Amino acid sequence: MLTEETKTHIEGLLNKYKTRRSAVMPALMHAQKQNAGNLTEEDMREVADYIGLNPVVTNEIVGFYTMYNPLKDIGTYHIQVCANLSCSLRQAEFIIEYLEKKLDIKSGETTKNKRYTLTRVECLGSCGTAPMMQINDDYFEDLTVSKVDEILSNLD
Amino acid sequence: MITLTINDKEVSVEDGTLILEAAKQAGFHIPTFCYQPILSRLASCRICLVEIEGQRKLQPSCVTPVMPGMKVQTESQDVKEARIGVLEFFLSNHALDCPVCDKGGECELQNMVYKYGPKKGEFTEKKERFHEKDYILSPVIVKNSNRCVQCLRCVRVCDEAVGRTMLGPMGRGAHQEETSFLKSYMDCDQCGNCIEVCPVGCFMRLPYRYRARPWDLKSASTICPYCATGCRMDIQERGGEYIRAISKFGKGVNSELMCARGRFGFDFLNNEDRLTKPLRKKDDGTFEEITWAEALETIKTNFKLSSPERIGAIISARNTNEEFYLLQKLMRTVLKSNNIDSSPRWSSDAVSAYVTACGINEGGTSIADSIDVDTVLITGSHISDENPVTDYLLRRAFDTRRIGVIIASPRAMKLDSSAQMTLRNIPASDGTLLKAVVAELYTAKPEAFKGVTGLTKIKTLDSATLSKDCGVALDDIKATTGKLLKSDQISILAGTEYLRFPESLEGLVFLRDALRALKKDLKILPLLDRCNQRGAWDMGIHPAFTPGYEALEKEGLGCDRMVQAADDRQLDMLYVICENIAGLYPDAKYAVSALSKLKFLVVQDVFMSETAKLAHIVLPGAAFAEKDGSFTNQEGRAQKIDSLLPPPGEAKTALEVIAAIGRELDYGFGPSTADEVLAEIREATSMYREVEIDTARNDSALVKGKPAALRIADFLGKKRFDDVEAENKPSLPVPVVKVKPLSFKLVTGNHLFYSGTIARRSHTLRNLVSGPMVEVSVADAERLGLSDGDTVRVKGKYHEAILTLKSKKGSRDGIAFIPENFTEVGLNRFLKRGEGIQEVTIRKI
Repeated sequence: MLTEETKTHIEGLLNKYKTRRSAVMPALMHAQKQNAGNLTEEDMREVADYIGLNPVVTNEIVGFYTMYNPLKDIGTYHIQVCANLSCSLRQAEFIIEYLEKKLDIKSGETTKNKRYTLTRVECLGSCGTAPMMQINDDYFEDLTVSKVDEILSNLD
Repeated sequence: MITLTINDKEVSVEDGTLILEAAKQAGFHIPTFCYQPILSRLASCRICLVEIEGQRKLQPSCVTPVMPGMKVQTESQDVKEARIGVLEFFLSNHALDCPVCDKGGECELQNMVYKYGPKKGEFTEKKERFHEKDYILSPVIVKNSNRCVQCLRCVRVCDEAVGRTMLGPMGRGAHQEETSFLKSYMDCDQCGNCIEVCPVGCFMRLPYRYRARPWDLKSASTICPYCATGCRMDIQERGGEYIRAISKFGKGVNSELMCARGRFGFDFLNNEDRLTKPLRKKDDGTFEEITWAEALETIKTNFKLSSPERIGAIISARNTNEEFYLLQKLMRTVLKSNNIDSSPRWSSDAVSAYVTACGINEGGTSIADSIDVDTVLITGSHISDENPVTDYLLRRAFDTRRIGVIIASPRAMKLDSSAQMTLRNIPASDGTLLKAVVAELYTAKPEAFKGVTGLTKIKTLDSATLSKDCGVALDDIKATTGKLLKSDQISILAGTEYLRFPESLEGLVFLRDALRALKKDLKILPLLDRCNQRGAWDMGIHPAFTPGYEALEKEGLGCDRMVQAADDRQLDMLYVICENIAGLYPDAKYAVSALSKLKFLVVQDVFMSETAKLAHIVLPGAAFAEKDGSFTNQEGRAQKIDSLLPPPGEAKTALEVIAAIGRELDYGFGPSTADEVLAEIREATSMYREVEIDTARNDSALVKGKPAALRIADFLGKKRFDDVEAENKPSLPVPVVKVKPLSFKLVTGNHLFYSGTIARRSHTLRNLVSGPMVEVSVADAERLGLSDGDTVRVKGKYHEAILTLKSKKGSRDGIAFIPENFTEVGLNRFLKRGEGIQEVTIRKI
């Protein structure tokens, strides 16, 4: 169910764009945020309905862009580590391996206590400060093992 | 014109032509997958790559327009290698399960690999597997994504032509799968165009799956037997069973497009209830089988007993032109009766007026011309359900050329999304709405109407009152007028509501005359819902005119008056061919009681209809795929149909039966074959004299008329609408204006999957509809506290029925729509002769 707050956001977006269809991506983002990073089937239908599109359009979009997590079980903290060229050259693989060991999950999985989800992603556009990861909406850059430990322990 | 060389051959083509098309004109074949002429360009498959001198890389010919002096190679070594490479990429993930694939034998990928290679693949990686088993997307569509080549034809045809957007590409790259929302069951038009455009076996027909191999099928080219768009299709059989109907690119007005009824509705032909033997009613009311000789003898005796004015014939608009012609010849020359008509749903006066108003007697108007204009006004038709393929063609015209579309209809429809204006008028007020538009046209440009005769009445029209009467805001009417004034070329698409409510035709005539006075290039295209309705009229299946619309001195009785005459015991004998009067006449009780009073009723039909049950003699008939002859569609295009199988059992075509009855009565009656009859039609009427009977697609197939062929004075003049009341008042519904709260006006028409006596015998189409339904607007459903799928009791003055509720966004409030052809519901049981629109209440049970 879309909350009133999300609906207000979508309404604002609809005023912002010339065609209603243009609002679909940020609208899906808002729907995902409202559910702590998860996008349910119901939300996909409702966003499409609200904007006046066929639900298949939202399905297409969430299938194409990796920033949407449709029908997945995402933990409180979604850790996305870049594994593209620049980051890989700066030991991103090692960071992922370390996180897998530390959280005791494989990338793509969520910890049993639903606290962390680890995902290996494509370039996040921060090559100058590789290796890097994104936790929910924040970027953490120039990662080292000790820095990762520190970041994780500082999460609320 | 642009001159270029393709494979060292000099070619001159129009500016803006694509290399692909230029090569085709020059006689070179370039293979394609994603290219589909009616759809948007994609250039994703890369199979059509060609070499252009001076360009470093190969270019996709399906999106590259020609340039002066271009030198193109379509078969160079580089091109050939690239082609093989592309095919190898397709095969790298393609399931290659050809031995069990329905498409095997007619698969574009199979054919292309066979022709071009590669002979051996070099990929050793594991193939992408989307799923293990085929999954079902709808009662008619089954899917196997492992065979997909990602050409997106299915996605584009669904979005751009059909306008439903049920399919989309999910995922990226090699993982991309074209499917429905989360692979769910699709609640769509079920048109199966995704199946038809799919180059491989990714989308398949569920009813046809694993049933046959294409090379085992016998096929015949015919015309779809449902609406009057007149889509050309090939019907195919195997072992005596009709198994598939396919449309082909570039053939017919529809090209590759068809709707659910056309593509899946042919299976009524295989129905086990088909009549196979002549039957006679015994005294106890049951039927006994008799021989044809006995049947013909009985018919002959009874015909001879009756005087001409006490004999009538009614033939459904689903028969061929040849059958129509021969029947009217039998009636008029042998039996000397003009009591002949084609549909119990409207009066023959309505038909005369409609024919003149739309200029049907003036010759054909092609659909291509009708949509190649500035503005199209659709009125009196729920086009998306009644003529689905006409709707697809309009949507493409709107998308590619941005033509203006104005829709006037009480009910919302799919095409609304392509319309600039939608006017939701009160049912049966289409004419009032058009009059309001005319009044505004006059106000805007009074000088244009000076000196034009016959338009005096429009000066007295008052748009404000008229707009109130039709329930459309004056501002909307003004906006419509503005659009019409700005357009030079206008076409009006006028549907069957004008036949149900002929008073509305006055408005249509006013608008026609007004637009002509304004010097607009105007075309009028009738939208009809029976495949050969126009042919029936052309062939003189009407009490007031003979073939070619030559008016008769003495008018016979139309269907409505024949029923009335039967009720008054003024008619003794009725010969009915394939028409279901008891099931469609707008007052079921009256029709049944009237028909029961006949001394002799003979019905030829393919099924035991409600009317056939009342008959004394029932003759088994043939359906469209069992006949040779021609159909004339709503454009006036005469199209050839070929038979595929003989009719079942002892059934005979109507042509054979009419000829046999004729010979019983008059030894010299003839001719008796379709070709001979057609030759006689050509002699009898100038409309068909030079017409080329269409076998694929050409415009010389349009019938030609003479503007003065119909003595307009006899129809419109004499009975110009003011004196309609004085004589021959149309007995069909007159609008009721008052609407009580929570009561609905009952309107009718065709359902997308359901349009008549034959559709309800198609198992596939029956599977598509959950059951008899009533449709109201979303707001009304909310007001009643009802939601989609609720079972409701619909109660009228004379009848009540239990139906499933469906709500529609955007429809006018206060209207309940029930399709006219559900056997279980019998919409005509709600109606009463001469009472007009009925009101109903809807309650949840």
